[in-house]
Amino acid sequence: MNHSCSHTHYDAFTQQVSEQIKQAVAEQRTLQISGNQSKVPLNGDEQIDLAAHSGVIAYEPSELVITVKAGTKLTELKEVLAERNQMLGFEPPDYGDSTIGGTYACALTGPSRPFRGVLRDFVLGTKMVDGRGQPLTFGGQMIKNVAGYDVSRMMAGSKGSMAVITELSLKVIPLVEEHTYYKEMHEDEAIILMNQMAGTTLPLSGCAYYEGRFYYRVYGEHPHQDATPCDNSVWLTLNPFKPKLAPGQKLWRVDTEGPAPSIPNTLAVGMCGQRRWVVSDEPPAPYSTQWQSYFAPRHNDTQEVAKIKKGLKQVFDPHNVFKNL
Amino acid sequence: MSVIQELKQRLSQGSVIVDAEQCSPYECDGLSAYRQKPLAVVLPANVDEVKAALRICKAHRVPVITRGSGTGLAGGSLPLENGIVLGLSKLNKILHIDPLSRTAVLQPGVRNIQVSQAVEQYGLYYAPDPSSQVACSIGGNVAENSGGVHCLKYGLTVHNVLSITVINMDGETLIFDEKDDGLDLLALLNGSEGLLGVIVEVKVKLLPKPDTAQLVMAGFDSVSACADAVTSVLEQGILPAGLEMMDKFSIMAAEAYAKVGYPLEAEALLLCEVDGSYDQVKVDTQRIAEILKNSGATSITVSQNEAQRISLWQGRKNAFPAVGRYSPDYYCMDGTIPRRKLAYVLEEIEKLSQKYGLKVANVFHAGDGNLHPLILYDANKPGELEETEKFGAEILKLCLDVGGTITGEHGVGVEKLDSMCHQFTTPELEIFHAIKAVFDDTGLMNPGKAVPTLHRCAEVGQMHVHNNQLPFPELERF
Repeated sequence: MNHSCSHTHYDAFTQQVSEQIKQAVAEQRTLQISGNQSKVPLNGDEQIDLAAHSGVIAYEPSELVITVKAGTKLTELKEVLAERNQMLGFEPPDYGDSTIGGTYACALTGPSRPFRGVLRDFVLGTKMVDGRGQPLTFGGQMIKNVAGYDVSRMMAGSKGSMAVITELSLKVIPLVEEHTYYKEMHEDEAIILMNQMAGTTLPLSGCAYYEGRFYYRVYGEHPHQDATPCDNSVWLTLNPFKPKLAPGQKLWRVDTEGPAPSIPNTLAVGMCGQRRWVVSDEPPAPYSTQWQSYFAPRHNDTQEVAKIKKGLKQVFDPHNVFKNL
Repeated sequence: MSVIQELKQRLSQGSVIVDAEQCSPYECDGLSAYRQKPLAVVLPANVDEVKAALRICKAHRVPVITRGSGTGLAGGSLPLENGIVLGLSKLNKILHIDPLSRTAVLQPGVRNIQVSQAVEQYGLYYAPDPSSQVACSIGGNVAENSGGVHCLKYGLTVHNVLSITVINMDGETLIFDEKDDGLDLLALLNGSEGLLGVIVEVKVKLLPKPDTAQLVMAGFDSVSACADAVTSVLEQGILPAGLEMMDKFSIMAAEAYAKVGYPLEAEALLLCEVDGSYDQVKVDTQRIAEILKNSGATSITVSQNEAQRISLWQGRKNAFPAVGRYSPDYYCMDGTIPRRKLAYVLEEIEKLSQKYGLKVANVFHAGDGNLHPLILYDANKPGELEETEKFGAEILKLCLDVGGTITGEHGVGVEKLDSMCHQFTTPELEIFHAIKAVFDDTGLMNPGKAVPTLHRCAEVGQMHVHNNQLPFPELERF
């Protein structure tokens, strides 16, 4: 038996995380996985700090793949990609020094979602350490890979409750030049129009409604007599969307069918109508998530699905060393 | 009562087949080298019958092998002697099409091509297009996370599915939707090869049909020059809808079969297609032709009209049967590799080809790294299938060694179980088995497929070893 030998092929950080987890399990303590705390606040547990675990591990522009450490800031990642005329396809919101790991843990995607897909669509592989302290690798650096269950996509949205994600491989896309146009109109009208436009071959990358205006974004220039050109700043206003609220007001992120009718007290409509930002005391629709500096879990799964999630938690974190949010 | 009696009593007439002759089409899927007669074939007429069949099988502890159209290439729906085949071909209705939200709700037996045909009137289509799309079912596509030649731009099945409904062994309904919170179980179910649940409904994303598409065909005097040309196209920020490469043998076979004017003197052929608006396609086509010329293409043909574009694809689309004419049997592999390793991998495959005395033709989805070597063999020659499988396993090992994976789009099924032992460590395989147990604690859903037992990995001596260090050296190996 030789314990030291079984880990020699893992890097120092992975070994350190593994030891930290094993120690906590032995002492029956819980741990919190943290990045730059741009979303989820610290809960007082000992941290597994990924903020310093940062940087690009491998980048092959011609293969459209980048592999990064989980603590890499979104700003740094975007800069590295832009130098080679590439970008992230899922337009993640940056809450202030947000890391790619935290963005993945919260499964956050921006306005381009209806046109390019969600974060997990771009995840090709992950390295992680589970709640036993076991280093694991799922997926890889290939755009196509169907060997084994797709654990690296499943973990997107796990919010630090399953395993410590240490590395991610992501598919990237060519950098595009985009232009934004707007039209003044009513919300209901805009919701229908944005869905109609999305069914055409206009190369769209964003459709939203905000403060009386329907905004759309396209690759390249597509002037239209009815629409007014403007700069691209509205997409940053909406992503991340952080409106000023009156004391006591609750903000909800609602996911719905694109053409669904408007919801009362909507502040903004994004993602071709698939995303609504609503002020309300109660959840305004079935898929509503409350904004509390991060997106609070909904806890509204059916009994059967809740059972599956509980079972999977046991698979990856049998000692409950990571807390559920 | 026996399981068959009970199934016959509960399901509508004609839904339970036990007659040997009628069962015979279900004895294999697209991996026809493997055959097995099932206990019975059950063809439920509706979702209630699926639930009933699963409950009955659970009570009798009878394994269930779910089957769509049986076009899978990895033996994923190979029957078990003591199990039933649950064929979903009767669940073949398109339940709902919503042109405004650009979605369609489908039963699992709907054929892939039917979706695009049904929504064409709205100017929409369903993007994933596996080469078997005229026959393969949507349920099977989700189970295998099927690809196609347009994956680089439009993604695999997982990128185009919004919601699925599955039934478990208890006959309970579970819905996994992209709007769900927390763990992405929808992603997990894609490509789960029938081990986690029976898919009874799928909601897919529809895309606007591009205004036009144009194809640039280029010959090169070496594989590496061709691969470098693809790299240049992608580095210039162009995302082609299709990027296919063929080696010399494939070019020759395809041209002899389809007679479409492929350059026979070329060592490698590239087919590069762009789609979108008329203006964009015109600009991109010119840029691509320029890049390929600068990359040393020995011949360039740009499709001048739709008929020519379709004609030029005919060679590539018929590459498998075309190569198949040169041998009684062929075996299709499905590894993926980083494109920069292509020339090296093809050289190594050529060496293996000589070692085994078996010819190989290679076609390559150059955009996404998916390599399909076709090994030619004769199943009637004693031992040749076994040699072919060994050859195939060595190719997959080679793919792993250069940083790729053992299957890009066909799945593991029964075919690549041993190669899974190379790709994953013991703890990772244990996690896979534990995930299955969460969804299916009876272990009755497609048992023995997709994930090898640890015992098997130890037996075949292919335990995954990094830097010559066994994981968990303290454990006994048997």
